[in-house]
Amino acid sequence: MSSFEPVLTKHIHEEDCHTLAFYRSVGGYKALEKVLSMKPDEVIDTVKASNLRGRGGAGFPAGVKWSFIPNDSDKPTYLINNADESEPGTFKDRLLINKTPHQMMEGMIIASYAIGCNLAFIYIRGEFYKETCLLEAVLAEAYDANLLGKGILGSDYDLDVVIHRGAGAYICGEETGLIESLEGKRGWPRIKPPFPAVEGYLKCPTVVNNVETLCNLPHIFNQGPEWFRSIGPEQGPGPKLYCVSGCVNSPDVFEEPMGVPLKDLIYDRAGGIRNGNELKAVFPGGSSSAILTAEEAMNVNMDFDSLINIKSMLGSAGIIVMDEKVDMVQACLNIARFYEHESCGQCTPCREGTTWLVKMLIRMINGGGTERDIEMIYEITDNIGGLIDFSQGSFGKTICPFGEAVAWPVRSFVEKFKDEFLSYMPNLEVVA
Amino acid sequence: MPIVKIDDTDFTVEKGTSVLQAALANDIEIPHYCYHPALEIVGSCRMCLVKVEGMPKLQVSCNTFVGDVPSDKKIDGKYDMVVSTQDELVQQEQKNMLEFLLLNHPLDCPVCDQAGECDLQDYAFKYGNAHSRFEEDKRVRPNEYLGSQIVINHNRCILCSRCVRFTREISGSSELFVEARGYNSKISVLEEKPLDNLLAGNVADICPVGALLSTDYIHKNRIWNLDKQPSICQDCSVGCNVDVFHQKDQILRLTPRENHSVNKFFMCDKGRYGFHRFEEIERLTVPMIMSEGGFIETTWDEAIEKTVDELNGAGKGIAGIASPFHTNEANFMLGRLVNGNVGTLPPITSEEINYPSGFRISGDRSPNRHGMNDVCPSIVDDFASAVERKDIRFLYLLDDGIDRELNELWKGMLEKIDFVVVQSYAMTDVSKCADIVLPGQAPFEREGTITNDMGRVQWLRPSVTTKGESRPDWEIPMLIQSKHAGVEGLTDVSSVMNEMGKDFAAYSDITFFRLGDQGLPLNGKAEE
Repeated sequence: MSSFEPVLTKHIHEEDCHTLAFYRSVGGYKALEKVLSMKPDEVIDTVKASNLRGRGGAGFPAGVKWSFIPNDSDKPTYLINNADESEPGTFKDRLLINKTPHQMMEGMIIASYAIGCNLAFIYIRGEFYKETCLLEAVLAEAYDANLLGKGILGSDYDLDVVIHRGAGAYICGEETGLIESLEGKRGWPRIKPPFPAVEGYLKCPTVVNNVETLCNLPHIFNQGPEWFRSIGPEQGPGPKLYCVSGCVNSPDVFEEPMGVPLKDLIYDRAGGIRNGNELKAVFPGGSSSAILTAEEAMNVNMDFDSLINIKSMLGSAGIIVMDEKVDMVQACLNIARFYEHESCGQCTPCREGTTWLVKMLIRMINGGGTERDIEMIYEITDNIGGLIDFSQGSFGKTICPFGEAVAWPVRSFVEKFKDEFLSYMPNLEVVA
Repeated sequence: MPIVKIDDTDFTVEKGTSVLQAALANDIEIPHYCYHPALEIVGSCRMCLVKVEGMPKLQVSCNTFVGDVPSDKKIDGKYDMVVSTQDELVQQEQKNMLEFLLLNHPLDCPVCDQAGECDLQDYAFKYGNAHSRFEEDKRVRPNEYLGSQIVINHNRCILCSRCVRFTREISGSSELFVEARGYNSKISVLEEKPLDNLLAGNVADICPVGALLSTDYIHKNRIWNLDKQPSICQDCSVGCNVDVFHQKDQILRLTPRENHSVNKFFMCDKGRYGFHRFEEIERLTVPMIMSEGGFIETTWDEAIEKTVDELNGAGKGIAGIASPFHTNEANFMLGRLVNGNVGTLPPITSEEINYPSGFRISGDRSPNRHGMNDVCPSIVDDFASAVERKDIRFLYLLDDGIDRELNELWKGMLEKIDFVVVQSYAMTDVSKCADIVLPGQAPFEREGTITNDMGRVQWLRPSVTTKGESRPDWEIPMLIQSKHAGVEGLTDVSSVMNEMGKDFAAYSDITFFRLGDQGLPLNGKAEE
């Protein structure tokens, strides 16, 4: 078993770990006290020094994101805690909300203080009803203890937090789609520029941070940015939650340092492949990441750069494991169908392309495919989301990264498991 | 100011101009659908992609703005931005985007009203692939009414959302929205709130494809059969610039014409569909004289002779009724004929409507009250007592037209006058009170200048030919006056404008050439 002592999930197995009393008993809100004695700029500099990268999927450095908030704006600033966890195979934020809600709340207050925000939102996935009820109780506790409201902990800093439930759209986890949704509009991502840090919620400067990103903040201030940088690779350090699901014996959330070998997560922490089967493929970072073959999976480390080097991504670290029994063509259709269903319909390539892919895959599964369809899937996915290796400047064809999120997995399925797709083509010889 | 190089040409632009605006302003075509200059930028159609030097991926030109780059960072020491609209990658991307847009498109151009003025047709022809690779079933949906005069063909819709943004940002009524998600998205309305505002017709104009159609024009003709005449709407005092589409002297539709000093890009449905009320009228085309048994037809020579005789007999007791529905030139010639002794009928009004975007529908239904007052400066307020005193024995009346209802007071007054000449195009309430009716032009036949309520003089151009023996409205009072005074007549409307300029300094520089398509403010009063 792992020698790494968990940071974020250290206490999740203890009784009443979600309560304020418990959190305080293990040193909770000490970091906040420290932060409130610092200047906001110093707080931002500390987070920059820690090189904490966003845990929502894109991996953008959190401190840098905060520093984009304009200093000279006379508009209010907002923080939004993105708890709309809906990437397939991802269930880490739900665990953090359920077990350590005060850790998240402390992170939110720290982030809000750093960017000068007096009203923060928790945009929570609509299906997280139980979690919403829990957070309401947590908010009440925090207000009672003067951790929220006017003059927090005797300082002159005020902060209110509002919980907003999403209505069930995957795209509302994308930060600008989320902001539109929070404004009461249709969850259509906004074109950038302007970026949310300049014009976000109600056209005011806004920072959107993931739950896990926020949960890291108290520890950075308690133990220092140097400690944080010492965990895992320099280019994206820190503790990380990995969600392992699929054909493994013990699917669960595991906390390990950034850069842990994927092999260890599957065979050590998650107890290996079910029924002693062979590993076939793995999504390393939710269904939006390009799929890995067994060979790739056995040799890769789970950090931002290692996965980009093999043309996939860390994403939300939702690891979906598939064994030899999985039909890759059906799995590909399943993924394509999900994205077809969730495409917001705003941009032409995504709206039209996702459905085209699904229709083609269904035709192939029904025995109507030809080898030409394989080439066409390459071209269509390239036209929706661009090439996986970012070459020729041909990525980013849609307003938000949804285009890539559908194009890259589908293309990687066909590229890496082409034989299985060809096996669905009964008339191959005739056609060829 | 920043310099942007688009393809091989340099342009100096205002800081913050988008690449698309810079290109369009300089006649460089970048295909686009969701961008409309009057609406918020959404960047969703992905059609206007261009290559910008130094950027890792293609950029949507509608949302890429030219800024001031510090001098040491300028490209080639000179440019703030270098853009290619012709790069191979751009061309490929245009092909790809059109392929996506045409996947579910019915390709029914032969029966589509938009054909000939369709951005999808034009761009597909110019930038698209010749063949489709799509082998699956197309999405098929029935047409739906969005409002009483707007129908949507969902199969042709490319979901650019221009219409949705129009109802939110311009009319402020927000009837339209996108229903459902992704592939199932469609433009929709709530049953209890259909698209029936007075600006609804504009959504058919701004629709870049044949999805939104006005039921008024649907399946009536083909656009390439029609002649397009730039003109001015005559249905209220705003004076929206319009294009009148007509064929064989029949008007088929009106569309707004861009004029940033007046109506920007739009017009209201009152003006848009207003032309229909002139279709069924019984047009007067020959002069008519009242005799014992009613009106009888006569010739122009006789009619003018008779009028001049009555004019001579009336001595000083002559007056005219000017009309805010007529051009400056017609009112000016009337004023000359009656020595400036002019009155006017009560205004025809409706509720004034102001939209959040600044678009306005005036409460004054007449197009030229400002101009009429300018060229008939001594309009008498108390016309009735002059009639009572029997001061007026001869009255020359420019008829407002078919919208004019004459109340009993005015009917009584007209009866008391010895001789009433009415210049009109139909047997209206006013014409019926005449001793002689002289046939003038109907609204779409007129030529001259009109001045809107903001003091902008605009060129009203004829769209259809003058019917029968009817004569231009300025010409009839001119003929009578020249015969009466024994002077040489004026030959055309431009010479009337010239004379008008001599009498009224504000109009001294006005010529058709100077007015052009956009008009001119009087003495700079209407300058923004």
